[in-house]
Amino acid sequence: MTEMKRPLPEVSPESKPFWDAVQEDKLLIQHCNSCDTNIFYPRRLCPECWSKDISWIEAKGTGTIYSITTTYLGTTSEFTKELPIHVAYIELDEGGVRMASNIIGEGAETAKIGDRVEVDFVKANGDFKLPLFQLIKS
Amino acid sequence: MAKIAIIGYHEVPTQINPERTRWDIMEEVVTGAIRNAGISKDDIQGVVNVAPQAQPDLISQTAFGLIPEHFGLKNVKDNVICNAGGASTTNCVRMAEQWITSGMAEVVLVPHITVQSDIAPEDLITFFAKAPMHQEWEFPFGMTFNGAMALITERYMHETNSTEEDMASITHALRDWASRDPLSLFFNKGKSTEDVMNARMISTPLKSVECNMLADGGGCLVIASEEYAKKHCAKPVWKLGHGSDFLGGTPVIREDIFWREGYRKSCGEALAQANLTVDDIDIHEIYGAYPFTQASYLEANGICEPGEGARYHAAGHTKLGGKTPCTTMGDATGRGHTGSGVSMAFYCQVARQLRGEAGANQVEGAEKVMMVTSGGSGMNTLATIWGN
Repeated sequence: MTEMKRPLPEVSPESKPFWDAVQEDKLLIQHCNSCDTNIFYPRRLCPECWSKDISWIEAKGTGTIYSITTTYLGTTSEFTKELPIHVAYIELDEGGVRMASNIIGEGAETAKIGDRVEVDFVKANGDFKLPLFQLIKS
Repeated sequence: MAKIAIIGYHEVPTQINPERTRWDIMEEVVTGAIRNAGISKDDIQGVVNVAPQAQPDLISQTAFGLIPEHFGLKNVKDNVICNAGGASTTNCVRMAEQWITSGMAEVVLVPHITVQSDIAPEDLITFFAKAPMHQEWEFPFGMTFNGAMALITERYMHETNSTEEDMASITHALRDWASRDPLSLFFNKGKSTEDVMNARMISTPLKSVECNMLADGGGCLVIASEEYAKKHCAKPVWKLGHGSDFLGGTPVIREDIFWREGYRKSCGEALAQANLTVDDIDIHEIYGAYPFTQASYLEANGICEPGEGARYHAAGHTKLGGKTPCTTMGDATGRGHTGSGVSMAFYCQVARQLRGEAGANQVEGAEKVMMVTSGGSGMNTLATIWGN
């Protein structure tokens, strides 16, 4: 794989536990203990009920491709060496969480809506990791 | 409810022309719109500026009052700027409406200028990759504006069994309108469905001609009270109804992914306010910037069966002479993308159609037009019905 030099997320106090966990190969999502809702992206309060009784739960890291595109042109320069890049919306199995990521690895170029995927923690710039996804081999 | 009307408009062609400065265009559209209205500059009592994207100096200049000063508008009571991305012009018109119906002003100027061709391409790519995308949860994964809309399009095709050719027919229809419009970047440059299919791939399934080409442009509206419009304007374009819906700021977590529910709610509200049904609408002007919106709008309003929007375009119904003329200014795909100025171009086109001034794209007998604008990456759908 081409060495990545991605622009990194600007980590906020609200999202720091998520990104810290990614660096330790864990995928965390927020869960509202008041209304039993999974929350993505991380916030200080639940967008459903405004409760601040929110905990972090570890996701299994598996999900389904909701949509996918292969981008050949038009990204900012940090991505140029990676093109074409497979950008996807992933719905995690925990429910209520749809996140953007990339499909990488074997078969990525033929990945399609409905395919099953699992998370992979990949160094995207120096030692900083991003949660990317690979196809689950059936 | 007191009515308001567009009583004057002026627009420069959408071009890539760094020779024209922002204030050169500003002078043409402001003086042009006021002359088109047939009134004195000193009748203008308020200025509501459409915020230009990626041009911070111009934002500051217009926000802080340089337009009434530059043009010597002696009776202006206030100046403000509205930024809602592509929905900005609609918000400016609503602000003008509030100033008018509250009694603060009788006549309000709504100008917009964008020059993107003097901005470095890398800076523009970065702006349009970051501004409407979530910088933490979308951008680090190589998401672009085109990529986000490609993801929606791919899902739309999956759920509706629409083919890439069905989708390409939408851009063919938009470019068909554009080919007869001297204000379009693509004047005399129509594209067949086959041409669209053969264009360079950007983000699957979107080809280059299904994405937007950034360009320069400008336009200006003069908005007036009912009493003033009846007294001073031979062809006022009346606002008959309005509806709004907010869908969400970040595409990946948006529930109404095709904007269908937004279109259904906002257009339904507008029709109810105007005491009309969708069958009364002669032209549908849909600013969605990407082809799938032209399909989902039709489905949302019951103009075709659910999931049949793209094929409705493919059947030719939305072209000049078709039973449902749609987006006669070509949308951003067929016009060139002037940032928030695309919505200004839509308003000018509504005025042209309802005054019978749309030239080769005139829809004969047009009396009612529904237009929809959206901002950001599709955060909202704002529907307004206009009549003559």
